Amino acid sequence: MNPILEAFTMVATTEVAIAVLASAVYGMVIGALPGLTATMATALLVPITFYLSPIAAVATIITSSAMAIFSGDIPGCLMRIPGTPASAAYTDEAYAMTRKGEAELALGTSLWFSAVGGIVGTVALMIMAPALAEMALSFSTFEYFWLSLLGLMCATLVARSSPIKAIAAALLGLLVACVGIENPGGVPRFTFGSTDLLGGIEALPALVGVFAVSEIMRALVSPLPPRIPDRKLGSILRGQWGLTRRFQKQMWRGNVIGVLIGALPGAGADIAAWVAYATSKRFSKEPEKFGTGHPEGLVESGAANNSALAGGWVPALLFGIPGDTITAIAIGVLYMKGLNPGPTLFTEKASSMYALYIIFILANVLMIPLGIIMIRLSRHVLKAPRAVAMPLILLLCAVGAFAIGNNPFAIVLVAVFGVIGYMMERNGYPVAALVLGIVMGTMVEQNLVSSLIKSDGEILPFFERPISSGLAALTISALMWPVAVWVIRRLRHAEPAR
Amino acid sequence: MHLSDRVTGLFLALLGSLAFWGGSRLPAVPGQDVGPAAFPMAIGGGLVICGVLIAAGIGHSFEAKDTAEDDQAPGLARWLGRLGWLAAFLPPVLLIGYVLVVDTLGFLLTAAIMLLVSARALGASWAMTIGVMLIAPPVVHLAFGKLLRVPLPDGLLAAPW
Repeated sequence: MNPILEAFTMVATTEVAIAVLASAVYGMVIGALPGLTATMATALLVPITFYLSPIAAVATIITSSAMAIFSGDIPGCLMRIPGTPASAAYTDEAYAMTRKGEAELALGTSLWFSAVGGIVGTVALMIMAPALAEMALSFSTFEYFWLSLLGLMCATLVARSSPIKAIAAALLGLLVACVGIENPGGVPRFTFGSTDLLGGIEALPALVGVFAVSEIMRALVSPLPPRIPDRKLGSILRGQWGLTRRFQKQMWRGNVIGVLIGALPGAGADIAAWVAYATSKRFSKEPEKFGTGHPEGLVESGAANNSALAGGWVPALLFGIPGDTITAIAIGVLYMKGLNPGPTLFTEKASSMYALYIIFILANVLMIPLGIIMIRLSRHVLKAPRAVAMPLILLLCAVGAFAIGNNPFAIVLVAVFGVIGYMMERNGYPVAALVLGIVMGTMVEQNLVSSLIKSDGEILPFFERPISSGLAALTISALMWPVAVWVIRRLRHAEPAR
Repeated sequence: MHLSDRVTGLFLALLGSLAFWGGSRLPAVPGQDVGPAAFPMAIGGGLVICGVLIAAGIGHSFEAKDTAEDDQAPGLARWLGRLGWLAAFLPPVLLIGYVLVVDTLGFLLTAAIMLLVSARALGASWAMTIGVMLIAPPVVHLAFGKLLRVPLPDGLLAAPW
């Protein structure tokens, strides 16, 4: 059968339809509640995906994350609290519009350009991934080593924190990945005699701990969010077509920025939104209007964060390198469902790939009607008290972690990583870099060790192949970049002093 | 809980040197130069360098200002007063507690206790707490235990299904 036709039959099942609808509602609600992020929504979904068919399992992740990134804008618009970090970049702008009495326009802009961004991102994924897959087929362990290292370096570069702390966080993640017997010698490494640690530390309990438990911990020491004001909302989509025509260039630029940043390992929707908002202001004809309730930046960054979601799947599907924290979780699900990431996925399982594309498009189209319903219901959803939502999440963390392998040790890991994530965040260490290190640790080590065995312990062959040397140059410049920035800053500060 | 860069940096350096030392003691693969020791030793070395740099305050200028505040939190944090920061560690303690008692007490009771403690600690009213305690555990049990067939322990109080 034609793979595209086959893909349609894979998607057109009751199971997938229910999975998409249910996860859409779930994503919308979680994203809208402040403090509950899209990554957390995805991590808590994984135990459920065990019981679904491969396509339905991946569909739940794609749909819920897309919905959560959009609905994170709702409390941003109405209460000036971003529902997810991806909305933080333009929350002030959206709230300023609400204060001017343009809440409908702000919410509509978020919804409309999120959906457009998601669809453009998907098209980019459809074009970029097969082209890159051709190239990836010729990669050897040397290229994979540099690529995974470059991914880690990128994550440290884009983190809004000290680059040294980010590198330390990534190294910590790699160290976590060292635990277990899955190493070149097959010997127990850092297991301290525990049989539970022999199989290594699974990424999922670590992710649930770092993203969900640490958030509950933070809620216990932070003030309550303000109450949502009661107000009636008018037509949501009115005026969006006008905005699309007026800010066409900004929309496209936001989409491109989103896809590129999404594809960069470790950088996801939140960073895409920050960069797009900054770019929008920088190139705007009326930058003075930014921050006063001007839709231009909202258009660009709203499109960017949703297109970044699709972009994140490019390196995930091709190389097994997560483009953001959501795909870091999705990779585990892909492996579990026999859709092992790699360039051959596009040749051997082409129909599954097409099915994923269809689900991406479906999710983003579905976002508009569901988003309107969610906006209308937001007054009620946002009244859900934190003091009840957070305990429920905690219970789900425990049950979900246990459900992964029916092993209570996973719950202990969730608790431990909750503490690690909380302590790291409070002290300026980016947790995304830690997560990337945990997910990619085995891959980095395997490629490093097999390359070293192939080269007889020589370093030179790491730089001999053309693509490999190019990737090496990029990795080393990524490492040196913060040093360069520091030197430039130093020189600039020194000049006025003279 | 905010610690100084010196403390976290030195902790990382210590952890790195332990990883380096622990890695170096791993047995080599006969006939091969590179074994299970190489990677942890490289990471350990890297962590030591990063830790020392962080402790020395290098790279601090790149950090965004910490805007989080540890005050005005309701519930447990307010009750603890000056020790309010300790409230943050309740969730991991509850999770460990869950692991320790769930086999004896059973899922329904353990979950209800966990919800009671965490909801009250977050400042929920008694009415809300009791509502969530009574409704959530059976619903979660129905979803995970019955539908997804996760073997949640019965303990003292078994679910009727």
